[in-house]
Amino acid sequence: MPVVEYKGKKFEVDEDGFLLGGLDAWCMEWVEYVKQLEGIEELTDEHWKVIKVLQDYYKKNGVAPMVRVLSKVTGYPLKKIYELFPSGPGKGACKMAGLPKPTGCV
Amino acid sequence: MENRITDIGPPYYAQFFPPVIKKNYGKWKSHEIIEPGVLKYTSETGDVVYVVRVGTPRLATTDYIREVCEIADKYCDGYVRWTTRNNIEFHVTDEETLRALKEDLKSRKHPGGSYKFPIGGTGAGVTNIVHTQGWVHCHTPAIDASGIVKAVMDDLIDYFESMTLPAQVRIALACCLNMCGAVHCSDIAILGIHRKPPLIEDDRLEYVCEIPLVLASCPTGAIKPATVEIDGKKKKTVRVQESRCMFCGNCYTMCPAMPIADGEGDGVAILVGGKISNRVSAPKFSKLVIPYIPNEPPRWETTVKWVRKILETYAKHARKYERVGEWAERIGWERFFELCEIPFSSKTMDDYRLAYDTYRTSMHFRFTSHVDIK
Repeated sequence: MPVVEYKGKKFEVDEDGFLLGGLDAWCMEWVEYVKQLEGIEELTDEHWKVIKVLQDYYKKNGVAPMVRVLSKVTGYPLKKIYELFPSGPGKGACKMAGLPKPTGCV
Repeated sequence: MENRITDIGPPYYAQFFPPVIKKNYGKWKSHEIIEPGVLKYTSETGDVVYVVRVGTPRLATTDYIREVCEIADKYCDGYVRWTTRNNIEFHVTDEETLRALKEDLKSRKHPGGSYKFPIGGTGAGVTNIVHTQGWVHCHTPAIDASGIVKAVMDDLIDYFESMTLPAQVRIALACCLNMCGAVHCSDIAILGIHRKPPLIEDDRLEYVCEIPLVLASCPTGAIKPATVEIDGKKKKTVRVQESRCMFCGNCYTMCPAMPIADGEGDGVAILVGGKISNRVSAPKFSKLVIPYIPNEPPRWETTVKWVRKILETYAKHARKYERVGEWAERIGWERFFELCEIPFSSKTMDDYRLAYDTYRTSMHFRFTSHVDIK
């Protein structure tokens, strides 16, 4: 599997660029790295709220939240989440939060 | 995100109508199949349009599509359409052009000798096979798609180019039991199946999989969470109770650390008797008749042989207008197995949740011989 290097840190990722080490390998440098991949100019509190909700839900339940749950807990409609993360809640937000790659017939 | 255009949808279909279709839209009076692969539509306005249907491999190169466009430019003013079974239809309005178009289509061959545009697929014959990705692109297949489809259609090309069956026979293929496409509702269906439980990659499972999703993906409840120790470290993983596993591969769809494909275990199952139309009888699901045939790339001889056997037995015994499923239900499935010389095994008997309704709860049956196949 490929390894990406960013600001002195090394991350093992899969072919779609999702973090392979899970939340153990997640750190600020990873967020910075995904931020520039995603073309996000600046990380606001709203971005962090989404990341926090995703990580807390994952730690508690072992799965990423459904989109409706994410919307309800953060209070952001899906449209807003796309404004924050242009690739969407799966490819954008989950990747940045260090969650496993979404599976199934996507 | 600059200059990004979104949510514009597909182009409006009517802008690609041939002029004669546009003019007579909603005014068609009748149609007839004048020969295999050629239809003639007559309008209230007196206009007539001839449609030539040709088979395609579905998986096509841009060169192939350009050649289709070249033909359309030459005979049909640049208009052409694809059907819901991935055949191509060319529209012409006079018999002179029709003759020239047919001649041209028949003359085009690939360097290997296959016809590029075989004419047919209408009426009571075998039309194109609805199929899936197989080993060309998907990660969960148990069999190939394009390869088997080519082998089966090579064998049945006479039925594509003729209309000699009691009713149309729809053949479909899906390379795993996600059943993308029409396998569950086709007259004859070719389905990829596994016969071994998944392999569990304990070392990476907790990082790449959401374990609750894996547990919930199992239709028989065979998967349980577990913890293992690798190099002194505790790791979360799952365990499969093999006696409960029926090798559907759903857990692999949800979790990349549970691969299930196996060269010797995987193979073909054949299902028979589905339909989606409401004509005479209600739509039916197809039913399993052959539980396993090994994978035999590149020509899948045994699969091809069984498909032909079922088709020919049906053609010989069914009444006019009768679909495969209607025929099998009229004569009784025990007669179907006897006539087709398919050995019946316990694998064909349903044992999933609502299975009771599929058993025989009556004294009505025929005495038949059990068939042994060499």
